[in-house]
Amino acid sequence: MTTESLTTTPKSAARVAPSVLVGIGAFAAVGIYVLVSSLGLGLWTSLGPGPGLFPFAMGGVLVAMALVWLIQELRRPSETAEGVDRGLVVAVVVSLAILASVMDLLGFQLSTFLFLMYHLKLRGRRTWVTSLIIALTGSVGAFYAFNYGLNVALPVSAFPLLNTIGL
Amino acid sequence: MKTRIRLAAVAAAGLLALTGCGANAGATNTASDFPRKGKSIEIVVAFGSGGAVDTAARLIQPVLEKELGTNVEVINKPGAGGQIGYTQLTSAKPDGYTIGATGSPSVVVSPLDPSRGAKYTRDSFQPLGRQVIDPTVIAVQPDSPYQTLKDLLDAAKASPKSMTASTTGLQTGEHFAMAQIQETTGSEFAPVHFSEGASQATTAFLGKHVDILVANVSDVTDLTKQGKARVLGVMSEERAPSLQDVPTFKESGYDLVAGTVRGYSAPAGLPDEVAEKLEAALQKAIEDPAVVQKMNDLGLQTSYLNGDDYQQFWAAQEEDFKKVLPLVQKTD
Amino acid sequence: MAGVALLIPLTLNMDATGAIIMLCAIFYGTAYGGTITSVLLNTPGEAASAITTIDGYAMTKIGKAGAALTIAAVGSFVGGTIATVGLVAAAKPLGELGLLVGPPEFFALMVVGISLLVALAGKSMVKAVISGALGLLISMVGIDPVAGAPRFTFGVDRLLDGVSFVAVIVGVFGLSELLSYRKGAAAPAVHAPNFRSLLPTGKEWRRSAPAMARGTGIGFGLGLIPGMTGSVSSLLAYGAEKKFSRHRNELGKGAIEGVAGPETANNSHANAALIPLFTLGIPASPTIAVLMGAFLQQGLTPGPTLFTENSEIAWAIIASLFIGNLILLLLNVPLVGLWTSILRVPTTILTALILLFMVIGAYTINFTVFDVFVMIGFGLLGLALRHLDIPLAPMVLTLVLGPLMERSLRESLEISQGDFGIFVNRPISAVLIGLGLLIIFSPLLKLRKPKALNEDPET
Repeated sequence: MTTESLTTTPKSAARVAPSVLVGIGAFAAVGIYVLVSSLGLGLWTSLGPGPGLFPFAMGGVLVAMALVWLIQELRRPSETAEGVDRGLVVAVVVSLAILASVMDLLGFQLSTFLFLMYHLKLRGRRTWVTSLIIALTGSVGAFYAFNYGLNVALPVSAFPLLNTIGL
Repeated sequence: MKTRIRLAAVAAAGLLALTGCGANAGATNTASDFPRKGKSIEIVVAFGSGGAVDTAARLIQPVLEKELGTNVEVINKPGAGGQIGYTQLTSAKPDGYTIGATGSPSVVVSPLDPSRGAKYTRDSFQPLGRQVIDPTVIAVQPDSPYQTLKDLLDAAKASPKSMTASTTGLQTGEHFAMAQIQETTGSEFAPVHFSEGASQATTAFLGKHVDILVANVSDVTDLTKQGKARVLGVMSEERAPSLQDVPTFKESGYDLVAGTVRGYSAPAGLPDEVAEKLEAALQKAIEDPAVVQKMNDLGLQTSYLNGDDYQQFWAAQEEDFKKVLPLVQKTD
Repeated sequence: MAGVALLIPLTLNMDATGAIIMLCAIFYGTAYGGTITSVLLNTPGEAASAITTIDGYAMTKIGKAGAALTIAAVGSFVGGTIATVGLVAAAKPLGELGLLVGPPEFFALMVVGISLLVALAGKSMVKAVISGALGLLISMVGIDPVAGAPRFTFGVDRLLDGVSFVAVIVGVFGLSELLSYRKGAAAPAVHAPNFRSLLPTGKEWRRSAPAMARGTGIGFGLGLIPGMTGSVSSLLAYGAEKKFSRHRNELGKGAIEGVAGPETANNSHANAALIPLFTLGIPASPTIAVLMGAFLQQGLTPGPTLFTENSEIAWAIIASLFIGNLILLLLNVPLVGLWTSILRVPTTILTALILLFMVIGAYTINFTVFDVFVMIGFGLLGLALRHLDIPLAPMVLTLVLGPLMERSLRESLEISQGDFGIFVNRPISAVLIGLGLLIIFSPLLKLRKPKALNEDPET
């Protein structure tokens, strides 16, 4: 949709960024997978349009668009976005995944307390006092606010020992 | 950056160690403290809001809250003629905090057809109590030329599939009723499946997007009062109290009985103590005079059965519907 | 939704009028509440304000959070009040109007919605279509709504019920935004506004007015249609701004229209959706169904008989709608200063708390950590899409429209017994389909106009 302009000419010699190629490949792969599996769902039945009709169309669109995009990239590679802060992504994603994995076992209060302490004290380098106050409010405080204020039950610990002391 | 990752790893290891320590600990909640105060009980309604299933659940909800002493929430999970909600219900933990409104034939029939790929069978449910029997009716637009059931069925026999008729989804009570009509009289309608339930079907009928409304007594009681639908026949043994002027199918010379039967069930595997508490609370709620009165006003006849009897009722229904199932299956 | 359901028990001891008024107030109050987090934290509180994050958060970044929130409150008031006037003036004919929309018209409306993808496309149409197709595919995960066959569930039982929408938007918008902060710019360039900038400038008021007018119209019209959700209204209102606003080139970079349009539409929709309930007894959305439950509890049957048999209650509710909308405005405008002070919290603390809110938000959808994992997964997907410069808005649009579109297509074809002509033989649907095509192809027509008009002055 963009108009060809003079400023882009010097870049035409550049190569297509690997991340873009991976992206195009991934979309094409998803599209092909959807095309094949929607055939199995049935495009049309004696009772009207089948469960596979819509996905089939979308799979086709994905594959077609991936191809068009590839052609566009080959003719005129787009600028790649700046890289991401991998340390940040790993820290956030891994900490969230661990929190989600242990929440049902340790209970909401203990698991989010540790989660918040990690982000405030270890990553955020806040003072101990600030970190502790915020982490306690966000874990124990939030638990009581939701459980008794809003009647929304956040998980309690699955361990009897922790459970009996109110976690 | 490296320190950060290292710290993340340490934190992760710490948390994992903590969980590992107590991995052999048993479950905490015992059945005796059911229901725990502050933990909500959800009633999964497998049809859209505003239909008879939804309405009935919302009417018993406050009585249940009083009986059980905790929050009770009605959650709508419509789609696929009830299958989406039933799947959610049967895959929930059998701890009593998730129960559901179940309507037959949909709950009995959906696992019978392998092409639906239902993840549950009839045994995945633990019936807790039956609430109502809601007979099927057939209604036409107020300006329709057909004045009697015979007029309509004869016309549908003369030119099959010339008229569209609503159902609340593939293989639901309405779809079966239509198949039964076709089998005994040879009159064929073109079914349009409103898979989210009766309120969606009624809306389309009111907008004259479908010619015929195949629904339950409760769906048409108010519409008849407003003159927005002309009910031609009720598929019950006796006339419905809220539709005294409408003849039954039998009176019109067609020996056909059909209807939707609704009640409440839990996922199978409920601890006995919890099941007893829920059954007792449901009976109180269903038979509460104020609830029965409100149900009557909406054209719904309360007909309570306890969990065991409800289960036997399902088993009998299953046998009946197995016979007519081929009529409503796809043929490719 | 949750708000209304949670508070029903509180109202059981109140008299009928009081109880229903309270629930109505909560009902449209939540339509504004979701905006605050959308604008300030880029995390939509509910589906209907997802689209507000685009320009709302962009405004926050340039220190205009106060103006955005004020305009959102005023827009909500305008939309809600005009819709209530409609309820008073012509509830009955308007209710009947909503019934004209049958499955084919519903499908045609969805086509109009999808055609706005063009407007949301940004730089590359190809990327917008990819984003839209992804959204549609995600919406199809779960049990097929008609025939009951499981689709794309990969044997995971939790997926049979579909991917939860809130977990997806929180992941795609909120989490991926946090993940995309770059080194050096670790603190996002968010400025806490000073007192003067809490209020919109005269220019911003003038620019908001037409957006509010369009938003009111879109929200009101769609609110009348049974089965339409508020998020469709706010998405289409945003699309309309992208398409028709005089400042459409600034949308996405913190344009006031991008907040005014959707927020007005959202509240206009919420109030208009009461019309089908009052006149036909049809609850237009799950939230309204909760309200309907409250009516039934109190022994009132919503529908045309409400005005004849319980007219004092009906009018008391309507009066409360006017007052409630006003109170919402009076409460929220002075509080804008308080809300925006959230931005003065140091970034590291704010980030930790936002992460916590996202986890709680995802967990409480179905009370399972599965949805937290879904949110994490979609956060990573969102990050990848941002990296590839693929716009996120089309995906959210199709995620909402997809199920409605598929359902209405299949119902239409059952009515016509397989004949696609049904979409052009019926006048309303034909007009709507024509409108959709016009929206898609109008950029091609515009190419003949002088280019200066179209070009973004900033690039």
